[in-house]
Amino acid sequence: MTTAAVPTPGPRPAPVPGPALARRPSPATALANSFTLAWRSVLKIKTNPEDLFGLWFQPIMYLVLFTYVFGGAIAGGTHQYLQFSLPGVLVLSVVFATLGTGMMLSQDISTGVFDRFRALPIVRWAPLAGAILGDLVRYVISILVTLGFGYVLGFRVQTNVVAAVLGCLLLVAFAFAMCWLSAMLGVIAKTAQGVQWWGFLFMFPLVFGSNILTSTSSMPGWLQAFVKVNPVTYLTEAERALLIGGPAAVAVERSLLWALGIFVVFAPLAVAAYRRRT
Amino acid sequence: MTAVYQPAKSPAYFLSDALVMVGRSLRRSVRDPEAFITALALPVTLMLLFVYVFGGAFEAGVGSHGGYVNYVVPGLIVLCAGFGAGTTAVAVATDMSSGIVDRFRSMPITAWSVLAGQIMASLARNLLATALVIAVGLGVGWRPVASPLDWLGAIAMIVLFISAMSWLAACFGLVVGSPEAANGATFALMFIPYLSSAFVPAGTMAAGLRPIAANQPFTPVIETMRGLWMGHTSTGAALGHEALLAVIYFGAILVAAASLASWLFRHRTASH
Repeated sequence: MTTAAVPTPGPRPAPVPGPALARRPSPATALANSFTLAWRSVLKIKTNPEDLFGLWFQPIMYLVLFTYVFGGAIAGGTHQYLQFSLPGVLVLSVVFATLGTGMMLSQDISTGVFDRFRALPIVRWAPLAGAILGDLVRYVISILVTLGFGYVLGFRVQTNVVAAVLGCLLLVAFAFAMCWLSAMLGVIAKTAQGVQWWGFLFMFPLVFGSNILTSTSSMPGWLQAFVKVNPVTYLTEAERALLIGGPAAVAVERSLLWALGIFVVFAPLAVAAYRRRT
Repeated sequence: MTAVYQPAKSPAYFLSDALVMVGRSLRRSVRDPEAFITALALPVTLMLLFVYVFGGAFEAGVGSHGGYVNYVVPGLIVLCAGFGAGTTAVAVATDMSSGIVDRFRSMPITAWSVLAGQIMASLARNLLATALVIAVGLGVGWRPVASPLDWLGAIAMIVLFISAMSWLAACFGLVVGSPEAANGATFALMFIPYLSSAFVPAGTMAAGLRPIAANQPFTPVIETMRGLWMGHTSTGAALGHEALLAVIYFGAILVAAASLASWLFRHRTASH
């Protein structure tokens, strides 16, 4: 019986240069990659009927429902209630719109799109950054639809243009922080439905356990305690102050602090989960 | 190829086949934990939301005896049946689009049992959700003043209402092409209860909505349940009048939807 000749160990062949050994891209390239994928995220909005429905019809539906169906019972008249509720509906629409970030991410990961991205000479975190940057456009659309339809129904900004714009920017900043929580869920959850389910589990108490649609004083004592420390309450108070008047400084400051806190906690968690998953 | 000739079966066979299909539908419900938990959690969440978050604000406008919870329970039952209809429509559409019905047709079972199974399973699911609404309602302070006979009448009304809604949902599921479309098609069924006296009296709504809220089919059902449980309707109309309207509305919907669903099912599963 003959034995196969064992090859003598020689010098290891030089590794073939591949994506893993590509030079570290410059910040400009990384930014360009992110913006390209952000544009992809924006383009996806119009091809997704559910997303379009959420962005356009949900705010309209909430405004009509709460103003014309419930407004009379809550405030005694529809116009008074519209002035009170529109800033709340703005918050509600934008916070729920952040769920779309996680759902889109989950869809992209489960369909294998992100595996394709990894084969491209782009920064590894660009798909995540692109998804989040692209979703900022969704929040702006949601704000514009809500304000626009509110104006049609009779809502009027009672402060000034600068305050109203600041109110919109504050909403976008808060939504940007919240979308990292959504992104984390999108990376962890197995399906887009799972993201929706877990997202609602987190966001439903936050959104409805606040003063977005009714005053805190009309709620039972134990619930008031939660409402008073809820970040969505501070955001709603800030929006009301910036859109219809009132002391804004404390509410704006607390909203920004909460947004920063949410970002600091969930952005690293989302990035870590993304690295593990991809 | 000619279809296999199947002799007419007795009602006992039909019932046996239908019960097998009910079991299948219910097992599928339980095996989709997200949908199942949502179906059970939704009534509880809505109850807590309307009673604790909005209840205090609504109480003055509603002027209900014994608090807002006594006003809202019938409305929540109707709303949950609307959500349940969405589940039924999706289940029927899934069966029709996945090819499973063609497999069933190759078996010695009654064709109608597939549809009947979905409807009976829907009834079971919705009655469970209703029981949950009632249990949570009692937990948060709902105090009905109904006699056993009134309870029987309320349950009969709920069964009629859910049956009609289930058949209507089955029609949606048979008409549309996909489960996603079925979900969208039943959206109106979930929204209509809000435009009724379910959560606030029609009199407190905007002038343009009052006639819609007062004259739509959901309002008599809600008012009948309210009258049977609480001893009075919120509209001031006689209980008998509201009950008669409810039976006429949903009896007609049940007959029309069941006939249409049967025809659609026969049409869609006919041999080509």
